[in-house]
Amino acid sequence: MSTSPRESSGWGRTAPWILLAIIILVVPFILPSRYLLRTLVNIFFFAALGCAWNIIGGYAGQLSLGHAAFMAMGAYPTALLLLNYNVPPWLGFIPGVVAAVVMAFFLGHLVFGLRGPYLALSTLAFGEIVRILLLHFRDQTGGSLGVTIPFRGTDAWKLQFASEQPYYFICLVLLGLCLYVTYKVHGSRMGYYLQAIKENQDAAENLGIDLANNKVRALMISAALTAVLGGFYVSYFYYIDPDSVCGSDLSIKILLVAIIGGVGTVWGPIIGACILIPLTEASNYFFGSGRAGASLIIYAVILMMVILFSPKGLISLLPGGARSYRSE
Amino acid sequence: MDRSGTGPKKMDILIVFQAIVNGLMMGGVYALIAVGLTLIFGVMNVVNFAHGEFVMLGMVLTYLLHVLFRMDPGVSILLVIPIMLGVGALVQRALISRVVGQPDEAQILLTLALSVLLTNLVLLFMGPDYRSVKTAYKLSVWEVGPILFSVPRFLAFFVAMAFSGMLWLFLTKTDLGKGLRAVAEKPEVATLMGINPKKMHALAFGIGISLAAGAGSVLTPFFYTFPSVGGMFVLIAFVVVVLGGMGNIPGAILGALAIGVTESLTAQFVALDLAMLGVFIIFVLVLVFKPSGILGKGKVY
Repeated sequence: MSTSPRESSGWGRTAPWILLAIIILVVPFILPSRYLLRTLVNIFFFAALGCAWNIIGGYAGQLSLGHAAFMAMGAYPTALLLLNYNVPPWLGFIPGVVAAVVMAFFLGHLVFGLRGPYLALSTLAFGEIVRILLLHFRDQTGGSLGVTIPFRGTDAWKLQFASEQPYYFICLVLLGLCLYVTYKVHGSRMGYYLQAIKENQDAAENLGIDLANNKVRALMISAALTAVLGGFYVSYFYYIDPDSVCGSDLSIKILLVAIIGGVGTVWGPIIGACILIPLTEASNYFFGSGRAGASLIIYAVILMMVILFSPKGLISLLPGGARSYRSE
Repeated sequence: MDRSGTGPKKMDILIVFQAIVNGLMMGGVYALIAVGLTLIFGVMNVVNFAHGEFVMLGMVLTYLLHVLFRMDPGVSILLVIPIMLGVGALVQRALISRVVGQPDEAQILLTLALSVLLTNLVLLFMGPDYRSVKTAYKLSVWEVGPILFSVPRFLAFFVAMAFSGMLWLFLTKTDLGKGLRAVAEKPEVATLMGINPKKMHALAFGIGISLAAGAGSVLTPFFYTFPSVGGMFVLIAFVVVVLGGMGNIPGAILGALAIGVTESLTAQFVALDLAMLGVFIIFVLVLVFKPSGILGKGKVY
C-alpha cells in the first residue's frame, strides 16, 4: 500500500505522534493558567462524548437526539451513591453504566424499527422522558435544584483533587478509551455492517446483515461510554441538574461535536471539540457567559454551513481526510 | 354528614369533565400548531424541527405589539400571520429549499440548527425573562353550569379552530390550495400541469409557520413568553402529527384534541409535572406500533 513517499518511511509516520504524545503529557505542567487547562479538559470531555455518539450516530447513521439521557444515567447514580453511601465515583459509576446499557438494549429494540425523522423524534422524546422523571422524583434527585457534591479537600479515593492535573489525565484516559473503542468498532466486522446500514438499510438487510442486532449493539456501546463520561462529569463539576446533564441543548452539543468534525470517523469528534470548545470560551469572553446564547448562535451557524456545504464534516476538508472515512 | 359518601364521587365526575374541557381548549391551540407542521411535511416531505420556534416568534411579536401599541393579541394575530407568511417564504427560499429531497439527516440537522439559532437570537436581544401580555380578560371565567371556561383559553381555542378550519377551506376550495395539494400528492404531474413546485413549497412553509406563529399569538394572554418556550410545543406538535398521520390535516386536528385531553387528565390525576410524560409515552407507543398514525396512512386533506 505504501506507494506515496509520505507513507513509505515508518519513522516519518510515527514521529509526529510521539511528539504529540509528549506535548499532551507535558502541557498540564507548563500551562500558565488553570483556565487554559480547564478548557483543555473540556475539549477532551466533549471529544470523548462526540466519539461515543459517533458510534451510533455517525457509523450506523442512526441520529440520536437524546444522548444526554445516557449521560444523566451515568451521572445521577454516581453522585447519589457518593453523597448518600460514600461510594467513591470510580466504583459508583458502574451501576449507572449498567443501567444505561440495559436501557439502550430496550430502547434500541423499541425504536430501531423506525427511520429518519421518526427515529430522531423518538430519541428526542426519550431524552425528555428521562428529564421529566428526574425533575419529578425530587426526593431522590433533588428535582430542578440538582445534586451538589461537597468538596472536602484532595482525596484521591473520592476522585477529589484541589489541582487540575489529575482531572486532565483522567479525562485523557477516558478520551483514549473512547477513541480505542471507536477504532476497534471502525475496523471490526460490526463496523462494516454499521457503515452498510448507514449507506442503505434495505440493501444491507438483503445481504443478510441483522439490522436490529447491529444497531442495538452499537447503541449499547455508545450508551455505556456516554454513561462513564457522565460519572466523570459529576466528579469534575461537583454539580448536576436535569438541564445540565439531560437537556436537549447538551444532546445537540454532543452531536454537533461529531458532525462538525466529521461523522463516522475516528478523529472527527476531536476536530469538532477543538473547534467548538474554544469558540464557546471565546464567545463567553467577548459576550459574557451570562449571554450564553452567543455561543449557541455560533454553533447553529456552523452546523448550517457544514450541512449545506460540507456534509461529511470538516475532516473531509483535510488532505487525506476523505480517505480516512472509507480506507482500510 | 350522611351525604359525604356520594359527595366526592359526584365531584370526581365534575373534575374529569373540567379536565377534559381544559384539555380540549389547549388541544385547539395544539391543532393550529400541528396543522402547519403537517402541511409542511405533506407538501415538502420536510420535518420542521424549528416549528416550535415559530410559535415562540409569534408570541414575541405579539408581546412587542402589546408593549409598543397596547395591541390586543386578538388584533395582533391579524398582523402576525401575514408577517410570518413572508418570513416563512424567505426562510424556505434561503435555507429549507436547499435540503428538499436531501437525506433525512440533512433536513433534521438544518431545521434543528435553525431552531437553536432562533431561540438564542431572541435570548440575546430579549434576555431569558418570562414575559406576559396583560389583557382585561386575563383572569375572567365563564361559568356554564358547574364547568368553568377560562376566557382567554376559550378565545384561543376558538380562534385557533377558526384558522384551522380556514386552512381546510383554503386547501379544498381555492385553486391555490388545490395546487398545494397537487404538489403534495404528485409533484411531477403537478409540474406538468404548470404548477411551480418551488413557489408551492415557499407557500406551504409560509402558511405552516404563520399558523404556528398565530397559535403563539393566542397563547400569550395565558402563557408566558420566553426564548425557549418553543421547545415545549415542538414535541407536542410532533406527537400530534404522528398520531394523526404525517401530512393528514383532519388527523392532526383530532390528534391535537386527544393530546390536549391526555395532558390535562395526566396533570389532574397523576401529577402536574408528569403531564407531558403521558403524552410522550403515547407518542413512543404510536411510533413503534402504528407509525402511520391512528387514522390510517398517507396524506389526507
